Amino acid sequence: MTDATHAHGHDDHAHHAPPGGVMRWLTTTNHKDIGSLYLWFSLIMLFTAGSMALLIRAELFQPGLQLTNPDFFNQLTTMHGLIMIFGVIMPAFSGFANWQIPLMLGAPDMAFPRMNNWAFWILPVAGALLMGSFLLPGGAVAGGWTMYPPLFIQGGISYDLTILAVHIMGLSSIMGSINIITTILNMRAPGLTLMKMPLFCWTWLITAYLLIATMPVLAGAVTMLLTDRNFGTSFFNAAGGGDPVMFQHIFWFFAHPEVYILILPAFGIVSSIIPTFARKPLFGYASMVYATASIAILSFIVWAHHMFSVGMPAAAQLFFMFSTMLIAVPTGVKVFNWVATMWKGSMTFETPMLFAIAFVCLFTIGGFSGLVLAIAPVDIQLHDTYYVVAHFHYVLVSGALFSIFAGIYYWLPKWSGYMYDETLGKWHFWLSVIGMNIVFFPMHFLGLAGMPRRIPDYALQFTEFNQIATVGAFIFGFSQLIFLVVVLKAAKGGVKATDRVWEGAEGLEWTLPSPAPYHTFETAPVMK
Amino acid sequence: MSGASTMSSDKRNGKYRTAILLAVWALGLFLFTLYSGLK
Repeated sequence: MTDATHAHGHDDHAHHAPPGGVMRWLTTTNHKDIGSLYLWFSLIMLFTAGSMALLIRAELFQPGLQLTNPDFFNQLTTMHGLIMIFGVIMPAFSGFANWQIPLMLGAPDMAFPRMNNWAFWILPVAGALLMGSFLLPGGAVAGGWTMYPPLFIQGGISYDLTILAVHIMGLSSIMGSINIITTILNMRAPGLTLMKMPLFCWTWLITAYLLIATMPVLAGAVTMLLTDRNFGTSFFNAAGGGDPVMFQHIFWFFAHPEVYILILPAFGIVSSIIPTFARKPLFGYASMVYATASIAILSFIVWAHHMFSVGMPAAAQLFFMFSTMLIAVPTGVKVFNWVATMWKGSMTFETPMLFAIAFVCLFTIGGFSGLVLAIAPVDIQLHDTYYVVAHFHYVLVSGALFSIFAGIYYWLPKWSGYMYDETLGKWHFWLSVIGMNIVFFPMHFLGLAGMPRRIPDYALQFTEFNQIATVGAFIFGFSQLIFLVVVLKAAKGGVKATDRVWEGAEGLEWTLPSPAPYHTFETAPVMK
Repeated sequence: MSGASTMSSDKRNGKYRTAILLAVWALGLFLFTLYSGLK
């Protein structure tokens, strides 16, 4: 990263102080405020959808029905998935983008601050629609987060509310991605070329393009579901000559790139943290950029690997199998570069680095089980079993969620001006990493033995591994309360953070005081 | 105005064009998805 020749672009004049009260947060157009709003929203949703996960695991502690009935169980699994994806992971990364991208680029704010405000404030409306649907007759949606017909055509009013919520969340994402692309392409400090940008900005730029290339497709798919449900069309209704499998094709054309929308910003966060704590520049910066772009491009030609069991010609199976396996190449480049960055580095192991290293190790396990599932004949055996649940939780919990924890610990001192409690941070890390593995590793065995997902009851031979998983879930779930305490403590006060915060940190954001002033880089820094 | 800040200002004026292109793309893709469903 090139140093700024004058990076003092902050201004503390009194007229720039934020207004007070609730109106500050409702009307704010400041990227830091909106970043904080996204992150707090994400944290609240994490505990909401996490509580659903604990209820699911409590039900699965033993065979038979204890706490839920099958329909409510399926409502829980559906809402857990929808909220974790659209309400936790995506808003958290949007929070990071809002806070960090202008600071990293030397820009005074996002390109469209008012649209930024709208993009956030429609999200809680969508969250309320989803959560409120639990109170409606028939309860919340229970057809799975994938919204497949015919279940999704047959359900009650909550299905319409969910379609509306998905539209709103999609609109929010599209507005957010337009803002991010425009900010990166048009608002960089003079001299800061694309290939000098921090990798976090690159990963978000590519993610934003993915969002804008897939969210409208999801919007189209759910609009057709809506008209099938309410206006007598038969896009996906087999009874009227429609094709339910077409929905799966359209949905997964959106949802496989969505997987990378959930992980590419994580790559960016980890690529910021590892060089700092290894005290070495990122190994293979250019190859990281090209690998990220390759993953994004490949993500558009692999969607039908989610549908092998639907039935398709052998040639199509082979195409989707090999194209999926091809993604391992650029992903392997990334893992190699992270390890090479650490190689012979002067490493220290503060909490952000611990989460980043856990990310590299455990996300790789999720990647490997993805390769197993890419093999069409194996996938037909393992489809809809707990092996799939194990796979995507290794990707999304120890991948996406751990990177979010890593990023929060890394940048929180810059945001709040106070250091977090390192001892509590390490407790949070170790309990999370142990708990997470106890929950999800046994699920591989359950899946290989044939236990189906989305079923509240199971055969007796699956009991032991389910009990282990449930114990792990409660360890993992309750350890997140430590995270809450750490964040609240650091937001309130404590040891003052220095401007640079971390000895090995490089980049424009670290040239600013801690906490970062309300307005920054009103005069653009000039990069050498 | 220095050369650097002129360049920066020009780039920032281009933000509306970038945003409009992206919005038109998103709307077009949404409509194309619906059109695909009609066939």
